[in-house]
Amino acid sequence: MAGSGTAHLRSDDVLLRVEHLVVEFGSGRHRVRAVSDVSFDVAKGETLGLVGESGCGKSTTGRAVALVHNPNSGSVKFDGTELTSMSRGEMRQARTKIQMVFQDPISSLNPRRRVLDAVIEPMSVWGIGSKEERRAKARATLESVGIDPDDSGGRRPTEMSGGQCQRVSIARALMLEPTVLVCDEPVSALDVSVQAQILNLLDDLKRDRGLTMVFIAHDLAVVKNVSDRVAVMYLGKLCEVARPDDLYHRPEHPYTEALLTSIPEPDPGASRNGKATLAGDLPSPINPPSGCRFRTRCAFAQQKCAEEEPQMRAIGPDHFVACHFPLGTNPAPSSATAASVQPPVAPPPPASPQAPSWSVQAPDYTPAGAPAPRSTPVPPTPATPPAPTLPAPSERSPLWIDPQG
Amino acid sequence: MSRWGRRPQLSFPDVGSIEGPLLEVVDLHTSFRTGRGLVRAVDGVSFNLARGHTLGVVGESGSGKTVLSRSIMGLVPGTNVERSGTVRLSGHDITAMSLDELREVWGMQIALVFQDPMTALNPVVRIGRQITESLRLRAGLDRKAAYETSVALLKSVGIPAPEQRLRNYPHELSGGMRQRVMIAIALACGPKLLLADEPTTGLDVTVQAQILDLLAAQQRERHMGMILVTHDLGVVANRTDDIVVMYAGRVVEQAPTAELFARTRMPYTEALLRSIPRLAEASHTRLRAIPGRPPDLATELKGCRFAPRCPYAQDHCRKEEPPLRAAGQGHLFRCWYPVGSAEGDAALAYNVAARVPAALAFTGIPVRDAALVAPNAVGSA
Repeated sequence: MAGSGTAHLRSDDVLLRVEHLVVEFGSGRHRVRAVSDVSFDVAKGETLGLVGESGCGKSTTGRAVALVHNPNSGSVKFDGTELTSMSRGEMRQARTKIQMVFQDPISSLNPRRRVLDAVIEPMSVWGIGSKEERRAKARATLESVGIDPDDSGGRRPTEMSGGQCQRVSIARALMLEPTVLVCDEPVSALDVSVQAQILNLLDDLKRDRGLTMVFIAHDLAVVKNVSDRVAVMYLGKLCEVARPDDLYHRPEHPYTEALLTSIPEPDPGASRNGKATLAGDLPSPINPPSGCRFRTRCAFAQQKCAEEEPQMRAIGPDHFVACHFPLGTNPAPSSATAASVQPPVAPPPPASPQAPSWSVQAPDYTPAGAPAPRSTPVPPTPATPPAPTLPAPSERSPLWIDPQG
Repeated sequence: MSRWGRRPQLSFPDVGSIEGPLLEVVDLHTSFRTGRGLVRAVDGVSFNLARGHTLGVVGESGSGKTVLSRSIMGLVPGTNVERSGTVRLSGHDITAMSLDELREVWGMQIALVFQDPMTALNPVVRIGRQITESLRLRAGLDRKAAYETSVALLKSVGIPAPEQRLRNYPHELSGGMRQRVMIAIALACGPKLLLADEPTTGLDVTVQAQILDLLAAQQRERHMGMILVTHDLGVVANRTDDIVVMYAGRVVEQAPTAELFARTRMPYTEALLRSIPRLAEASHTRLRAIPGRPPDLATELKGCRFAPRCPYAQDHCRKEEPPLRAAGQGHLFRCWYPVGSAEGDAALAYNVAARVPAALAFTGIPVRDAALVAPNAVGSA
């Protein structure tokens, strides 16, 4: 996965179009390419969900869309206007139409300011309306997000719960009547019960105000609930773009499937069907793996994945994937060419740690002075199978067909 | 001899060598004296934990679950705290112990995996010293044995190249790796009871699955008792033997895991379950949020504490707090109109007909101002 390409871009009725976006931080040897050639578009009134692990560049992408970071290259087109080449003044003006809601609701509000003042501020900055008009609008906006302005308007953020603070942040983002709302992990710091309140609120606001949203989160279940289209990101690249229901029923990218199986289901009977959770950590984006960036943790990786970067391609109606061997079209490795490419994967470049093939097995010591931790024999635990980059014959995936046999 | 002079000699029996549960908590109360009054964070909690079993403690922020785990360890501050009740570990009453005796218990008998791996480790001390500290002081190992043990520990929690990692500082590791280090520190002296307080909050879903699998494997391997504290019922569904649901300092439902999910009695548990977005549901399915938020524990609470947010609540609930009732199969719940009973169904139907916001939100009828329900409107209709 983790490929480039623009096959998934649409031509019609697109409000926001991002092409070949690259954002880098640092310099010289420590240059990190946080976003590496990412393209996507969002139609008017649509919610695009951007999902991936920490460090995959999803927040940076969201910030680049909201013009918080200036991209190193690539284009961000909003309503037909190119944003990246704008002057400072033009950019300030454009920013009123693209607003952000941040992750940590309590620290993203100034603790010394009262709620009502914080919500009025965007209008004061732009000098819109009289003092009374601003106040009236702030009260109306607070009410629309479920905060009672009489009760809570005079409070400070520290006197409110996380969910209430997130409502205030949303109200503030809505004050300038933006067309696009970029929500960066708006619910990941909240309890499940409050999370449901905020997700419902965002859905209501989107419907009532015709908002276009970019919704960033690491939890695929949350993203699936709010999105019309989901883009899965890994290490600065897109893996898969699809409608949420398709993505859930027919994940094509191995990474998407790993994300899906990682979500804990509130059902004690739900088995994970022996599906392995993803082992290891995200490789360093300073020196990413060659070819497909997911190959170091992918159970299906082949030689081709190390040599050639997969391009985004259509695999169904409004379903795009950047993978050489998408799950639905396997078994690709059984083709005649697969026989000639063993061993499947070349070692990765030195600075990108390969998926560690550890297992959570028993420790082989007993601390002196401590009682023996086991006095009853326990059957050996089935350890989480690591994602093998070099599968032994017995461990090969069911999709593997031995070329010789 | 330890750094603190002569060690008190406590005789904790070996795991499995005595009868009875590993941990008994009897009517535990922990209250904080604050400027606003007495905050009853843990208000009469009782449960037993058998050896080798896992207990899930579930509740929203502010339900008292973290204070409960600290109270079990005896880690609550000494001033401005009122504590009563008994905590017995292998028959020894922990609440009656002196600090010297508790030092023998911490790490050796009970260990705690803290919530936030980013801040729980000391940022200016190398990983190696943080792991060997308790091995040297508590288990009394010499430098070489402690080093070798810590390498084995790091290996057992799935950290690659442990010899190099021991020389790292916490900031050089990712969140998942830091949580593994925290678990290694907790396991260092071979505790019989592991308390994991929101061990995966703040971690990615993929890493969360890894950490939960690791905890389960270590627990089975070492035959430890484990208490898994979390706000997410999804996390405990597959990984615990019993579940305690807490609300506003009280146990509101307690049952074996399968029983709790199959026959949920408490409206709060049902509401928590329904508020989780499910992958199997179509996108844009309206989530059944719980309106309002938990009550302020500094105020005098009358009646059932969940009543202001409960879709089933009737006048009776607002007047009198239900006792913890038994329903067979070790199932306890605290409700006058339990889910799935004739009374409960009638109460819900009545509330829907009366257009009570909590009931409408629960049945999926969108009520825009359901969130405006005053959180502490106990007693009002």
